[in-house]
Amino acid sequence: MAFLIRGVAAVSLALGLTTVAQAQKAVTLLNVSYDPTRELYQDVNTAFAAKYKAEKGVTVTIRQSHGGSGKQARSVIDGLEADVVTLALAYDIDEIAQKAKLLPADWQKRLPDNSAPYTSTIVFLVRKGNPKNIKDWDDIARSGVSVITPNPKTSGGARWNYLAAWGYALKKFGGDQAKAKDFVARIYKNVPVLDSGARGSTTTFVERGIGDVLLAWENEALLAVKELGPDKFQIVVPSLSILAEPPVTVVDKVAKKHGTVEVAQAYLQFLYSDEGQELVAKHYYRPRNKAVTTKYASTFPQITLFTIDEVFGGWTKAQGTHFADGGVFDQIYENR
Amino acid sequence: MVTIRWKTGLVLFWALSAVVGAPQLVAQQDSAAEATQQRLDDLDQQIKVLSRRWELYQDSVINAAKSRPSVTAGATGFQLKSADGNFVLKLRGYLQADARVYLSDDAQVLTNDLLLRRVRPILEGTVYKYYDFRIMPDFAGAAPTIFDAYFEARFKPEFAVRAGKYKPALGLERYQSATDVKFIERGLPTNLVPSRDVGLQVAGDLAGGILNYNAALFDGVPDLASGLNDVADGKDLVGRLFVVPFAKKADNPPVDLGFGIAASTGDELGNITTTALPSYRSPGQATVFRYLTSTTTPITGTVIADGRRERIIPQAYLNKGPLGLLAEYAISRQEVARDTGVTRTTEKLEHKAWQVEGSLFLTGERNSFKSVTPKKQFDPFAGGWGAFELVARYGELDFDDDAFPIYASPTASVTEEKAWAVGLNWHLGRNVKLMFNYEQTQFEGGATTGDRPDEKFFATRFQTSF
Repeated sequence: MAFLIRGVAAVSLALGLTTVAQAQKAVTLLNVSYDPTRELYQDVNTAFAAKYKAEKGVTVTIRQSHGGSGKQARSVIDGLEADVVTLALAYDIDEIAQKAKLLPADWQKRLPDNSAPYTSTIVFLVRKGNPKNIKDWDDIARSGVSVITPNPKTSGGARWNYLAAWGYALKKFGGDQAKAKDFVARIYKNVPVLDSGARGSTTTFVERGIGDVLLAWENEALLAVKELGPDKFQIVVPSLSILAEPPVTVVDKVAKKHGTVEVAQAYLQFLYSDEGQELVAKHYYRPRNKAVTTKYASTFPQITLFTIDEVFGGWTKAQGTHFADGGVFDQIYENR
Repeated sequence: MVTIRWKTGLVLFWALSAVVGAPQLVAQQDSAAEATQQRLDDLDQQIKVLSRRWELYQDSVINAAKSRPSVTAGATGFQLKSADGNFVLKLRGYLQADARVYLSDDAQVLTNDLLLRRVRPILEGTVYKYYDFRIMPDFAGAAPTIFDAYFEARFKPEFAVRAGKYKPALGLERYQSATDVKFIERGLPTNLVPSRDVGLQVAGDLAGGILNYNAALFDGVPDLASGLNDVADGKDLVGRLFVVPFAKKADNPPVDLGFGIAASTGDELGNITTTALPSYRSPGQATVFRYLTSTTTPITGTVIADGRRERIIPQAYLNKGPLGLLAEYAISRQEVARDTGVTRTTEKLEHKAWQVEGSLFLTGERNSFKSVTPKKQFDPFAGGWGAFELVARYGELDFDDDAFPIYASPTASVTEEKAWAVGLNWHLGRNVKLMFNYEQTQFEGGATTGDRPDEKFFATRFQTSF
């Protein structure tokens, strides 16, 4: 009996040590992100892996998963083993914390700037020459204007779009919620197709040629103009928009299970570094670092921005009021 | 004159009308063209919107399908699998219907019969990624019996832990699936190893499957037995090392070779009601060796297990093309005791058996320790005949001479069996097999006068498995 126990213990120890030894040499992280960050994280991953290898001698491979932010959060809740999540809005990570208990509720305090190493906003992408003469939110609520935006039930970007419109309407109508609802309802009456994510909506507008205006992440709009040419599309900056803060965090329980906590933390810290912030700006996200912001000032137009806390009292409240089942968005969309 | 003026006036009027009306006409035409263009643009948008909606609908259908469990049915059974592959339920099973005929059995000691040899549904599955289970009852006997029921945590190919009831890794032919054995009944060495036992096992494949190891702690059951309840505190330690040199070239090995050695050791203590000792059989399933028991009151003279039990089984198989060989040698030692009420005697008895078994696929299939799929299924309408396999074996089982006459009766139990057998297996497909065997066994002792008569055993089997 003692012989057997010793044998099993020795084999277990040997296998354990082998695993630990392998883990020391190579680490794989899964970054579950939202739709338009593909290109950003491709570059970030390459740069971080090189830096980490040089500093620690460890080879890091980072796998990426992209989709609508809400959908991605649900996948993590359902068991997708993300070491880090870099989603479109804090509410989606709150959901992971609350429903799957994979990270603490106060996760957003762990990194600077509410754990959002970059920001963005919502702008309009229109076809060259702006044939429908779209200048501000009022123009996309006009009859006869076809508006492309994804589904706020599945896309973080779409929720930013919706709340940006709502915020504008509240200001326009002096805080009258009913008029704001009517205003936003008129916009959604103009939406012919609801994609599940921001990248899908870009495809609908840019590649499929549908619609007069795309409500887009600023970075997505700038990328479209850069890749497809200013002879085809142009950006219209509305008079007022929302400050979007896409947050990032380590998924503690998964990272602990994988033994990747240290690498995952370093990966997210890298986003705040000068090198990381340069990459952020290159991919048209607004950097937090002032020096980098100044350097790329010409890329990002001045725009009056409001925060979700100022107008909606935070994500939890906005989510419950507008995007929960039976919420304002459902009422608007079902009564189109 | 009047007529000319009237005609001239008409012409002038027309000319004037044309000059005055032309811009209006052009404007009307432009307006109509614009309206038509607008309508075309609207229709173009509508078509694009409908096309995109259809595209998104198809994506949603595909995505929904990805999250749905899959159901498959095939030659290896029926399977339900979760979308992420972490949960699996498999329904498998097999049925063997035999006919046995004993030739030259004038005294009709053995019964010619048609029987269900095995009726075994198998429920297997995975309950999250690493954790497997298997439950296999048998309904062929007088009462349903659980043969396999175990749970296995399979973390890596190198390391898996199994707990429950299953085959100890001892005899090679015993370890082979009942659906894959070459003969209707296993050979003589199988007499000296247990069928199933309850225990905890650590096993795995090292060096890419070249070295397979098993180490296990079992309740400990007698040879040939299938245990569920233990009668004593003693346990058996079972270990096996098996080498498959060409495991890394499993798809096309120069030769499919496997060899190794298995052994067990443990203490077994029987009592007069449960002796913890086996009986041994002939290939025709007749009991040919049993330890002495007493039915008198008070019970005296019953032989019981009384200490150390050891088994050593070197073993090997070799398959090259259509040719297959399997050989094993088994030694089973057991300390036994007999208390007659007057004297108590003890002895460590050693029984030995060996066999060599060969098979040849006449239809050219690649032979294997596992199941073989015919190159062509039997299909009378399409012209396939399945696979035909010739089989032959020779084996001996030698019971310890010291067993006689104190522990076994020389007039009731044989001291030696020598058996040869030939057969033909017709694999109609991967799932259906017909088997025809003839086996003749020569005995030493085991009769009131001289030797027990030779056993001439003819058997057929219809087997279906999935």
